[in-house]
Amino acid sequence: MSLNVIQPKPRLTGREIARIVLSMSLACLAGAAMLGLVYLGTDRYRRASAEAGERKDIREMLGLDADARLLEVRQYLVPGARQVVYRAAPLGATAGTAHEVTFTLDGALAGERDVPVTVPLGKEWTPLGRIFVAARAGQPAGFVVQGETRGYKATIRLFVAMEPDFEIVDMRIIETTDDPGLGAEVAQPWFREQYVGRTAEEIAKLDVTRDPMPEDWKAALVAFARRAPDGPARHRALLERERRKPIYAVTGATISSRAVTEGVRKTVDHFRRRWWLLAPHLEGAL
Amino acid sequence: MSRARALLAAVLAALLLAPGLARATEVRVLSARVVAPNELRLRFSAPLPRADAENFRLTHAQAPDIPIPVSRLKLLGGNRVVLTFEQRLMPAEHYRLELADPPLARDVRPAAWALLLAVMLAAALINNFVFTRYLGLCIFFGVSKKRDTAIGMGITFTLVMIFTAMASWALDTFVLRPLQLGFFQILVFIGVVAFVVQFLDTMLRKTHPVLHRKWGIYLMLITTNCIILAVPLLNAQASAGPLDALALAIGSGAGFALALFLMSCARERLEYARVPQPFQGLPIAFALAGLFALAFMGFSGLDFFR
Amino acid sequence: MSTVLHPGPAPSARQLILNGIFAENPVFRLALSLCPAVAVTTTVLNGLLLGVAVLCVQVLSSVTVTLAKRLIHPRVRIPVYTIIIAVWVSAIDMTLAAFAPEIYAQVGLYVKLIVAFAIIISRLEVFASRQPLVPTFFDGLGMGLGFLLALLMIGAFRELLGSGSFAGIPLVPGKPLLFFALPAGGFFSIAVLMALFNWVERRRQGGASAPAKSAGGHGV
Repeated sequence: MSLNVIQPKPRLTGREIARIVLSMSLACLAGAAMLGLVYLGTDRYRRASAEAGERKDIREMLGLDADARLLEVRQYLVPGARQVVYRAAPLGATAGTAHEVTFTLDGALAGERDVPVTVPLGKEWTPLGRIFVAARAGQPAGFVVQGETRGYKATIRLFVAMEPDFEIVDMRIIETTDDPGLGAEVAQPWFREQYVGRTAEEIAKLDVTRDPMPEDWKAALVAFARRAPDGPARHRALLERERRKPIYAVTGATISSRAVTEGVRKTVDHFRRRWWLLAPHLEGAL
Repeated sequence: MSRARALLAAVLAALLLAPGLARATEVRVLSARVVAPNELRLRFSAPLPRADAENFRLTHAQAPDIPIPVSRLKLLGGNRVVLTFEQRLMPAEHYRLELADPPLARDVRPAAWALLLAVMLAAALINNFVFTRYLGLCIFFGVSKKRDTAIGMGITFTLVMIFTAMASWALDTFVLRPLQLGFFQILVFIGVVAFVVQFLDTMLRKTHPVLHRKWGIYLMLITTNCIILAVPLLNAQASAGPLDALALAIGSGAGFALALFLMSCARERLEYARVPQPFQGLPIAFALAGLFALAFMGFSGLDFFR
Repeated sequence: MSTVLHPGPAPSARQLILNGIFAENPVFRLALSLCPAVAVTTTVLNGLLLGVAVLCVQVLSSVTVTLAKRLIHPRVRIPVYTIIIAVWVSAIDMTLAAFAPEIYAQVGLYVKLIVAFAIIISRLEVFASRQPLVPTFFDGLGMGLGFLLALLMIGAFRELLGSGSFAGIPLVPGKPLLFFALPAGGFFSIAVLMALFNWVERRRQGGASAPAKSAGGHGV
C-alpha cells in the first residue's frame, strides 16, 4: 500500500462533508442490500444441503435402503414446568401431524397428543437433542442419536448409530468447533471405528488408555474404515480380542479422545433410558 | 434511664443480628467439586437435616431427566459430604445437583476463573495464533526485525485486540444475533476494527503526540492483521460469553506479543549470520518461525482439568 | 518485467497476468497475505478452494471499484474499499457454505479472513482506482492467479511429502515426511519454496544487472 506523502489536508466545506457522507452511505446501503440478497438466495440451499447431508449420513450409518422410513424425535426441556417434551414426526416433514409426548423429570407421563407439524414450540423450550428412528414394518430397525460433549475447549457433536439391541453400528463426529489439527484428530476414521461392534454394556464401562494401539488392530480399523473388501472380516476377527479393552487415544489428543468416549457413553446411556420410557408411546408412529 | 437505654440497645442488637443468626443455621452449599474418577465432594454451611443418598439428585446439565445413580454416601466432619457414583464423572463437564430436603439446587462446573485461565493459556501458548494457527503473519514478519518495534507492536496490538473483541462481541450478541443478521458479521467486525483503530489513532494524536509519533504507525498496520478479525469471528462461532471473549482476546494478544518478542530476539541475532542469497530476507525468517512453531508444539498437551 | 502500476498507458492483458504470477506474485514476491498460504495448504484441495475464493474476491472487488470510481470520494476511499471487499467476501463465504459444505468446513474461517488481506486492498488502491475496466480485470485476474498458483504449489509440496497423496489420491504408501503436514512444516515449506522462487527470478533477470529484490522488503 503506497504510503501517502503527508500534505496538509484542505479544510472540509459543508458540501464536501455532505458528499463524503453520501458516498459512504451509498456504499453501506448498496453493500447491505447485496448481502441481503445473497443471503436470501443461498440460505435455502444451505439448509437444504444440510438436511440432505444429514439424511445421507443417517442412511449410510445404518446401512438403510431408500424405502426405510425415518422418524425424527426432537426432545425439548421445559425448565419452568420441569418437564421434557418429545415430538416425533417423519424426517423432513413440513406438513402432517407430529406425535407429542410429555414426561416429568422423574419419568412420569404428563401428556400425550397429536399436533400439526407446523405448530411452533413453546417460548422457553430448550432443545436437548434429536433421535432418528429407522422403522421397517412397524418395528425399529436402528437408531441414530445426536449427542454432545465438551472437548478440549469447545463442543463436539456426534451421531451414534445403534441396532435395535443398542449395539453400536457406527459413530460419526458431525461438528467440532475445536481447531483443526488439535481436537479434530478424533474425527479420523480409525479412531471412530473403535466403537463399532461394542454392546451397550461394554460402552457403559468404556475407558481410554494412552497405550499405543496394536498394529494389526489399527490396520484392520483402517481397512474397515476405507470399506476395503476384506475390511469387515478383519475387523470382526480382531473385535473379539479388543472389545473388552479400552479405547486407544489419539496420540497428543488424549483429552479429546476421553471427551469423545464420554460423549458416546453418555449418548448411549441416556438414549436407552429415554427410549425405554418413550417406545410404548411411539408404536403408532413407526 | 440507662437501663432503658441498655434494653433498647439489646433489642436493636437482637433485631440486627437475628437475620444473620437465622442465616447461619440455613443450609447452603458452600462448594461442590468433582473429583475424578467418580466422586462429588460437597461442603455445606450447616449440618444437613437429611443425609441419605435419596436426598441428592445429580444430572448432566443437558440431561436433567436422567439422574446419575449414587452408589455411596460418606459424611465427613465439618459439614462435608462425599458422594460416590456408579458412573465416571468428568471435571470439565457441567452437572446440576439438587437436594430434596432442604430444597437446594447448584450448578457443578469448573471454576470460572480456571476456565478463563485455561482459555487464556490456550490462546497464548497451546494454540498460539502465530505459530499454531498461522494468523497475523503479514505483520509478524514485517515488525519482528527489531526488539523495540516488536515490543511496541505487541503492546499496541493487545490493547486494540481487547477493545475490538469486546466491542464486536457486544454488537454480535445484542444486535446481530437477535435480529438474525449473522451474515453481516464480517462487515460489522471489520468496521469495528477500522473504527477502533481510527478512534485510538485520533485520541492518541490529540492527547499524546509524542507517543503517537512513536507508536502511531503500528496502529495503522493492525487493520490488516488477520488475528484482529479472527478473534471476534472465533468468539461468534463458539457463542462465547463476555468473559470467554475477553479471555480469548487477552490470550491471543499476549501470545502474539510473545511470538513477536521471541522472533525479534532471534532475528536480531540473524543479522550476524551468513545466509545464502536466495534465503535472505523472508525465507530465512520463515524457517526461523518454523523452528519456533516446532518448539511451541511442546505445549500441546497442557491441560488443567486432568 | 515488473510493471510500474501508476496512471499511464495500461500494459497488455498478457503482461498483467504474467506480472501477477511471477514478478509480483503476492505470496512469494510481495510477501502479502501469507496467513492462508501456511494455514490452508495442508492439502491441495483446501489450497485450491481458498485460492479460487481469493481470485473471485480480487477480481470482483477490482471491477466494482473501477466501475464505481466516480462515486467514491477520495477522502473515504479506504473505508469504502474495505466495505466493498467485506461485501464480496461475505457473499462468497455464504455461497461456498451453501454449495461446498464439506470443504468449507475446513477453510471457512480463512475465507472470512480474506477481508483482512493487504494484497486486495493494495491492488484496489494502486491499480483499480486509476485504470479503466479491462486492464483492471486482467490485473485482478493475474494477482488472483498468482495467489492461487502459489497456494497450489505449497499445497502440493506439503501434501505430497506430508501425506503421500495429491488432492486426496494416495500416491505414495504411508506418510513420507509427516512433518510437512504440521504447522511447523508449513513454515519450512514456504521458506524453501520462496528461496526457490528468488533463485529462479535471479536467474531470469541474469544476476549481474540490478540486484534482484528478494522478497520481504515490506516491513517496518
